[in-house]
Amino acid sequence: MNLKKYLTLTRAGAMETLQYRASAVVIVLGNLLYLTIVYFLWKAIYASSPSEVVNGMTFYDTLIYLVLAAALAASIEMYTVWMIGRDIQSGKIVLDLLKPMEYRSFYFWSMAGSMVMNFLMTFIPTFIAVEIMTHGAIHIGMNIVWFLIALVFAVLINYSIDFIVSTICLFTESIWGINIMKQVIIMLLSGATIPLAFFPDKLRAVVDHLPFQSIYNAPLSLLLDSTGDVRKAVTTLATQLMWCVVMTVISKLFWNVSVKQITVNGG
Amino acid sequence: MKRKSLGFYIRIYFKILAQNLKSQMSYRADFIISTIGMIFTNIAGFVSFWILFTNFSEINGWGYYEMLFLYGFSLVAVTPVQCLFDNNWNLRRYAFSGDFIKYCFRPINLFFYYQSEIFDIKGLGQLAFGIGTIAYSWAKLGLECSILSILKMVVFLISASLVMIALQNAAAASCFWIENSFYILDFVTKLKDYAKYPVTIFSQVFRFIFTFLMPIAFIAYYPALVILRPEEPSVLSWLSPVVGIVMFFISYKIWMRGATRYNGTGS
Repeated sequence: MNLKKYLTLTRAGAMETLQYRASAVVIVLGNLLYLTIVYFLWKAIYASSPSEVVNGMTFYDTLIYLVLAAALAASIEMYTVWMIGRDIQSGKIVLDLLKPMEYRSFYFWSMAGSMVMNFLMTFIPTFIAVEIMTHGAIHIGMNIVWFLIALVFAVLINYSIDFIVSTICLFTESIWGINIMKQVIIMLLSGATIPLAFFPDKLRAVVDHLPFQSIYNAPLSLLLDSTGDVRKAVTTLATQLMWCVVMTVISKLFWNVSVKQITVNGG
Repeated sequence: MKRKSLGFYIRIYFKILAQNLKSQMSYRADFIISTIGMIFTNIAGFVSFWILFTNFSEINGWGYYEMLFLYGFSLVAVTPVQCLFDNNWNLRRYAFSGDFIKYCFRPINLFFYYQSEIFDIKGLGQLAFGIGTIAYSWAKLGLECSILSILKMVVFLISASLVMIALQNAAAASCFWIENSFYILDFVTKLKDYAKYPVTIFSQVFRFIFTFLMPIAFIAYYPALVILRPEEPSVLSWLSPVVGIVMFFISYKIWMRGATRYNGTGS
């Protein structure tokens, strides 16, 4: 595999992201507002609760988890469905299909640049801020390594799901509705809006057997785990790897079958 | 220019509406998927409350059904902005491409004509879900049900929607002054997701901010209090219709100022 051509795409994407600084300010403001709401909401929830520890999580555990989840979401959300959907409607996708590169990889590597940029500019500062404010509540050791591996799997699973949903757009030509459904399902069932520890047992059992929890819950629980339990890390990563393979195969097959059948507005 | 009567505007609105619905109905699949997507988001909000309340019996003195009531109220209150003012989302594009100039030459009110052009039907699913949620929690809470209370409900729902409409108008109109205004509109739209929480969970400072600077408390909390806890509404609750009307008027003036200032792209 010639990696250089892919990295060129990635670099172009990274530079494109750096162009939009003014909008970044508004996005940061939006995220800060979200965190304010989350802080007060959970503070009120814990203040009304008779015990300080609920489902094994204290107020600060929950807060750290949710803050990092929001930062992670801001880093790995790539609006893939939205972008590919638009290219389908306008017909521009035809030009990309003609490129001497598999479309799925082409798109991934173009997006990887802004993903790396967002990770460096959103997740890392958030992580440092949390670490300073909590006086080092997050243990630094092997868990960082597990987290980084889990993050790569999470990104790949997330991309495969996005790609499957985008392929559905080839048939429906409806983007908004499909995209919003995907977003809602992932944010709720991955534990990004409410930590999975709070889910009722039956719902938890279902969610544990779905791929979504591998996107947010898996990397974050590995990062926040201070016990250094190697067995837990290996099981989590193995589950992620399994979903990664399954989702990649499904998304590739689905795309290859679909792309032969569709007709798009001649771009 | 002669002032047109209200009857004239109502007649013309339904004429434009009929044309718009006809064109939207030719994309039936998109309509169905979008409506399902909308209801999906609402169900996710409902499920989040349900998960929270399986762990906690109350939040800051607010019970499950009271929170649901606020949630339903906020959903219904943001329906008009979704259905009737959705064309605000296209404003930036029209202004940028120069297409906006066509609206300036119609012999009717510019704001009226622009907004009447699109009626977003997918908002109706949210309306139904919101009314269902209100009715369900209303019955569970055993709130007074008389003609007067329903009338009050309608009046305060309309006041609440005017606040959201005003915020969105002003945000959309920012495109006449600022180039990359999409993020401002997006930011303001996210505010409606935070309207469902009682303002009492916030600290004094943020209570002030959410009441006077970013008035999201007027989208559900203050107006809903009149029905939900009739014994304790504050002056602000009774003032919410005035706040709604004043805010709408100001946003209309801003919007019109931007629009009359607009002088096309020269093409």
